[in-house]
Amino acid sequence: MAAMTSLREPYDDVVDGNVLPKIIELGPTLYGMAFQLMKLLPARFILRRALERGELEPGVTVAETTSGTFGLGLAIECRLRGHPLILVGDPAIDGPLRRRMEALGARVSIVSASALRGRDVQRARLERLAYFQSRLPRYFTPCQYDNLDNPASYGVVAELLLETLGQVDALVCPVGSGGSSSGMGSFLRAVLPELRLIGVDTPGSVLFAAPAGPRLLRGLGNGLLPQALDHRLFDEVHWIAAPDAFAATRAMHADQCLFMGPTSGAAYHVAAWYAWTHPGERVVATFPDEGHRYAGTVYNDAWLRRHSLLREPARAPRTVDHPAEVAGPWTRFAWNRRSREQVLRLRGGAA
Amino acid sequence: MIFANLTADVNQKADASLAPDPAQPVGGVAPVALTGTGTAPSHHGELLQGVFEEGGRLHRGLLTLPCSVFGSRAEIRLRQDEPELTVSPGWKTKALAAAHAMLARVGLPGLGGRLTLHSTIQVGRGLGSSTSDVIATFFAVLDAARMRLSAEQLARIAVEVEIASDPLMFDRMLLFGQREGRVIEDLRRPMIPVEVLGFPFADEELDTLAFAPARYTVWEIECFRAMRGLLRRAVVYNDLVSLGRIATASAQINQRFHRVPHFSRLLEIVGESSALGIQVAHTGTIAGLLFDPADPELDRRLAAAARGLGALGITETWHYTARSDGHGRYDIAS
Repeated sequence: MAAMTSLREPYDDVVDGNVLPKIIELGPTLYGMAFQLMKLLPARFILRRALERGELEPGVTVAETTSGTFGLGLAIECRLRGHPLILVGDPAIDGPLRRRMEALGARVSIVSASALRGRDVQRARLERLAYFQSRLPRYFTPCQYDNLDNPASYGVVAELLLETLGQVDALVCPVGSGGSSSGMGSFLRAVLPELRLIGVDTPGSVLFAAPAGPRLLRGLGNGLLPQALDHRLFDEVHWIAAPDAFAATRAMHADQCLFMGPTSGAAYHVAAWYAWTHPGERVVATFPDEGHRYAGTVYNDAWLRRHSLLREPARAPRTVDHPAEVAGPWTRFAWNRRSREQVLRLRGGAA
Repeated sequence: MIFANLTADVNQKADASLAPDPAQPVGGVAPVALTGTGTAPSHHGELLQGVFEEGGRLHRGLLTLPCSVFGSRAEIRLRQDEPELTVSPGWKTKALAAAHAMLARVGLPGLGGRLTLHSTIQVGRGLGSSTSDVIATFFAVLDAARMRLSAEQLARIAVEVEIASDPLMFDRMLLFGQREGRVIEDLRRPMIPVEVLGFPFADEELDTLAFAPARYTVWEIECFRAMRGLLRRAVVYNDLVSLGRIATASAQINQRFHRVPHFSRLLEIVGESSALGIQVAHTGTIAGLLFDPADPELDRRLAAAARGLGALGITETWHYTARSDGHGRYDIAS
């Protein structure tokens, strides 16, 4: 019998209970999608699909390279499902996150600073992962960056958003793996063809053809190009520098009482500007995680001051003709649903 | 439209025939003779067809676009002394199977007689001719037996008879599992009235049931969730714009499984004529452009769309207002 009334029932487990965001009105045309831990969604979806396809069997080890919240999502899901978990991270992993993953039974292997020897961090991590894989009889690697189940996992979010708001004119997403932005963007655009997808990146990230460099803001941008990212979905890309993202995160907390992480702050900053400059358009911003992990950093003035990161955020972006010009606190580029190669070719650059 | 009054309220008809017929004394000396009639409408393909999760499992399901323009009417005459039940026209074996299944269900197996079907639904276009015959036959047998069954019960029996069934026994918006004969999600609202400019997109006759079930990609399966979320909101707010977008998205996904020629041009015609969207018979040969029936510019838009279709060589078109017509049990407190 089909459900006739929506009687509330207990959640199956902690992932089930926390996997969906809360959609919160932040202004007359601005909404936030606040996740407790967004990466629970791809962690559960990727493992479930792998089990269905026979690529993962009960009790088999999961091994992944990640220093971020995807590792925490995997640690929770693997703990609940009984999979041993090996996570390969780099020295930049933060202590509380690492301790939490280890408390959930994950083995966290850190690529030492000496092993990096100036190489790309991601590449060194992949080599360490390959070492573990070679010693395991059976394993499953989710490959969140290249697994198309990562973007596909966001169908349930598109469902929630469309049921809750119906019409959405612009979706603002921080981009790291490209999973949430490409997933939500593609599903929403299937029924809202005019939807504007706005990516939020950070200087130093190569995702959207800006010059490579060191990144202070973790969780935003990438040093590698993930397959999960579909560039042709994006209308606009913004690059927010770490101090501005941190300041925006604090402003969001002060103005909206929303206690979220710095990638959320970056998305909020861009979304608030976009809503202000596009009156009448309904704007939704994605907030991927909560602020607790950043209590000692982003939410700590002393830490910010010590690292010369305490400043007012830029009020408006500098719009550039090409991502090669990305620099400074806030840069904007009209991506216009092109491929990365098409954009690179504008300046005769190689793909 | 040639068949506008075909689908007069089946239940009213059943009520009227509850009075005993003095010409047919039940349990008397003369052999028992039972007669009944039933009708069922056609449909116009689907607004949405895909796979949908319910109870932790995926189910194939659809949202039918109703069409009372065409329909089937069944008459059945049953006698104890008739050895065999026959059907006219003789090739409507599915209707005959439906009669046998329903006679067994109502405790009258083995009665012989004659089942006659009159249908204005073109066969092989995906308009639900087969299901309409089956449902009309169900109602005729129930009428003869002076019994009633719920639409949910009819749905279960219908899929036993014909493998996959359209939800013509219902008269409201719902996601229907066409292969399981069960409601996946009851949207609990009558059909939002929508103007349909119908047209054929292929000439050949199709056996709807010969279609191999579509094998959707992970992305497509998850996209159906998004469409379902928008559908819930559209139904509550009578949002025709969203309904049109859902239909277009569903038609787009179905292109991979059953191609509508000139689809990108048809999408342009949607834009040029300010249509709400395009819907298709996902396993048929007809499609429809959707319009707001309350639009003051409706006639102009329909004409513009028909001209666009004409330029593609599609000269046969028809239009009607799809709506719930009161043919089913509409038992929702509103």
